[in-house]
Amino acid sequence: MKSRILALLGGTLLSASAMAGGYQVNLASQRQIGMGHTGTGLVTGTSSIFFNPGAMSYVRENGVTIGASALFSKIAYSAPESNEVTARTDNPVGTPFQVYAVYKINDKLAAGLGVYTPFGSTAKWGQEWSGRFGLEELSLSAIFFQPTLSYAITDKIGIGAGLTYVKGSVNLQRGIPVQDEAGNYGRAELDGDGTSLGYNVGIYFKPSEKLSLGINYRSRVDVDVEEGDATFTVAPSLKSRFPDTKFGASLPLPATLSVGIGFMPTEALTIAVDVNRVEWSAYESLRFDYKDAVNGSNFTENARNYEDAYIYRIGAEYKATDALALRAGAYYDSSPVQDGYLTPETPDADARGVSVGLGYSVSDNIKLDASFLYINKKERTDASDKSGGIGGTYKAVAYIPGLALTYNF
Amino acid sequence: MKNLFYKTGTLALFAGVLLTSCDPDIDTPSSSAGTADFTSYVAVGNSLSAGYADNGLTLPGQQASLPAILARQFQKAGGGEFEQPLFPEDKPNGSGYLRLTGFTPQGQPITQPVTTDLAVRGQNEKGAPLYTKYTENVNNLAIPGIKTADIKTAGYGSTQGNAYFERLTDNAAQTYLQYVQAQAEAANHTFFSVWIAENDVLGYATSGGAFETDARYKITPIADFDANFKELLDVLTADKQKGVLITVPDVTSVPFFTTLGPSIKQVLATNNIPGMVAITGSGRERTQFAATQIGAAENGIYFPLTASSYAPLIGQPTGKYWRDLAKQLSPSQDPLVVRLTLAGVLANYGIDTTAMFGLSAGNPLPSALVLDPVEQAKIKTATEGYNQIIKAQATARDLAFFDANAYFKSIQGGFAANNVAYSPAFISGNLFSLDGIHPTPRGYAVVANEVIDAINSKYNANIPKADITQYDAVLFPGRQ
Repeated sequence: MKSRILALLGGTLLSASAMAGGYQVNLASQRQIGMGHTGTGLVTGTSSIFFNPGAMSYVRENGVTIGASALFSKIAYSAPESNEVTARTDNPVGTPFQVYAVYKINDKLAAGLGVYTPFGSTAKWGQEWSGRFGLEELSLSAIFFQPTLSYAITDKIGIGAGLTYVKGSVNLQRGIPVQDEAGNYGRAELDGDGTSLGYNVGIYFKPSEKLSLGINYRSRVDVDVEEGDATFTVAPSLKSRFPDTKFGASLPLPATLSVGIGFMPTEALTIAVDVNRVEWSAYESLRFDYKDAVNGSNFTENARNYEDAYIYRIGAEYKATDALALRAGAYYDSSPVQDGYLTPETPDADARGVSVGLGYSVSDNIKLDASFLYINKKERTDASDKSGGIGGTYKAVAYIPGLALTYNF
Repeated sequence: MKNLFYKTGTLALFAGVLLTSCDPDIDTPSSSAGTADFTSYVAVGNSLSAGYADNGLTLPGQQASLPAILARQFQKAGGGEFEQPLFPEDKPNGSGYLRLTGFTPQGQPITQPVTTDLAVRGQNEKGAPLYTKYTENVNNLAIPGIKTADIKTAGYGSTQGNAYFERLTDNAAQTYLQYVQAQAEAANHTFFSVWIAENDVLGYATSGGAFETDARYKITPIADFDANFKELLDVLTADKQKGVLITVPDVTSVPFFTTLGPSIKQVLATNNIPGMVAITGSGRERTQFAATQIGAAENGIYFPLTASSYAPLIGQPTGKYWRDLAKQLSPSQDPLVVRLTLAGVLANYGIDTTAMFGLSAGNPLPSALVLDPVEQAKIKTATEGYNQIIKAQATARDLAFFDANAYFKSIQGGFAANNVAYSPAFISGNLFSLDGIHPTPRGYAVVANEVIDAINSKYNANIPKADITQYDAVLFPGRQ
């Protein structure tokens, strides 16, 4: 078992593709993905560590969950007035993952540890497309480690809080529009990582057998890269203008406030509704500060000016038998990217997600959850004239199957 | 349990593979020729249509010529093949060209002529190169250096004439107009472009108005331009073919004239020198100008790039320019003959080489190294005259019209595309090649997209735009 977890972790330290608004990745639990990624107002099991620490103390048994998704994301691009699709991403398969462990200290108090990947972005456009001086390839990943305590004040109301330790990394590659004598374009690669701290707090309230409510707040975390490596490949005659140097950057991972409701009209049926407010306005600009001047400047800065965005989710679970649960859900995710600010890093648009899932109890203490989520972002045309982006029309879809194993004891 | 895990995993993997083939699509407008027909396109013009850049015509330059870029886009809207008189692949450097070899400590570019792999087959009687012949039918009929004034000149295609025309024609007596007529008939053309008037003022401008009496450096009178231009269009629109006419840009706004001024102005300011003395026109008449006039919008003074090697000598007692000129003019390179020529030149222009160069009436800046307001006014009058005729002809013959003059004015402040900055600045602006006059392949692609706009709007067509990032700008020394 242990070696399997390690093997999975090793394979999943790749970044996830951003398939929620901005570079958020809402794939925190296979059960909840099946239900439209609702869960703030439910006791979701071990994943309450993420969805609502206030609900964690209501988990009935100790448990460990490991899960991962395979994120196949694809973006098509049509350059302005080109009359055709002129580029497509060749994104590697993203593997957002989650590991949760909950230990019941007593009836009222539970402790847990979560490791999950709520932010990330991979976009690989390659070195041929017309936007390569904006972006060739970006990979952004953040892994959250969250030790959590949850306390059930009464059998109706519980609270919980976790501290998040975040390890983030960024790798950005883009073309430099200067050519060597053979016509090759220059290239820039920025690679760095940083760590940061945040928190995740929640309140869970269950006024009746048929109704439950939750509020959850996951704080903003700024991943500060301090000594990143900036490497420039250019014609030797220009190398002095593009010295390899160190860079600093700060990338905000925005706070998310979630409110959720759960209805249990019958023993077998659970319906959940969530609203997330993602405080994207934290992302004002993408700025890189260089230790040595690069092409005559000590920094580059592009405006982002994201807006706070809302996600509306609905999901349901039906227990067909004692062992089998069937799930379905949907959500609508409004884009934080304003007109004029679209970039090839995250060519974002309002997105619609539909999901299905199933849970199967293999034995009394082993449960499997499988999910499938399809995301369809609206086709979006933007001049990208305020962000240093690449104007044109973008269309993105993603197919995300996922699997998790839970062991209760 | 293990089996179930394996089965589900395989299923997920299978689903994943299946799904990777479901690509998103974008509903784009479809390309169309509108009321135009690009089946057979011929291009008439000068260096700007031939693919000339970096002071030369090369195979890669030809492949990125403006008409070749246009034809590539036309092909997406029913356009046919577009043949060009390409230099042989083993002689890609054609006429030779300038390449960038480095920068001075002050950051000034250093260029060097490339003289290998030239498509030179011999020399004419004056020792000028003759290029590899290409007498098959072509669609790109552009001739570097040609003026509208030259199109009916007999012998222009002889070894004494224009070497770029000479290589295309198998009949030395054929005029360019006759050549165009023959090629247009052979191509049975359905569409054409004409961008030809530039050299009718350019030779005068780049020589600083110094050799007006020489036909090569003279401004073509507007009436002559008018007559020849109309005859050319008569040939091209004989069967009511559609096409696009392009105006002459302001030749004084190119880097060839705008690059050197600021550094000379700086030198004058540093040394508290209020102004300079120069020769104006083709005689020995002196003119004075203030340092503040350099690069100014009104009464501006421009220095051609050819002045760069003489600019550092300003204020010194020197006769370098006149010695260089004498070497050029001298019938023989015998030092004695050259010295005699020099004496004649100095007497002719009234030069005292012991006086301060550029700052005294005795040793003024030679006319060829400065474009003064009087000379600019002549260029402006001619340019506007030609452009009015071009526009009127486009209207009269119901042709598409691209005002390159207005376009280049509009981008003086620069613009950005695909996260790349463009401006008319030398080298760093990406648009102009190392000769400071002709665009880079990228610059031609930018112009091509503007021409496409003009064609689309006139003929209700939808020709897709070229991806300008696929075309080169200035190449910097060294391999990365």
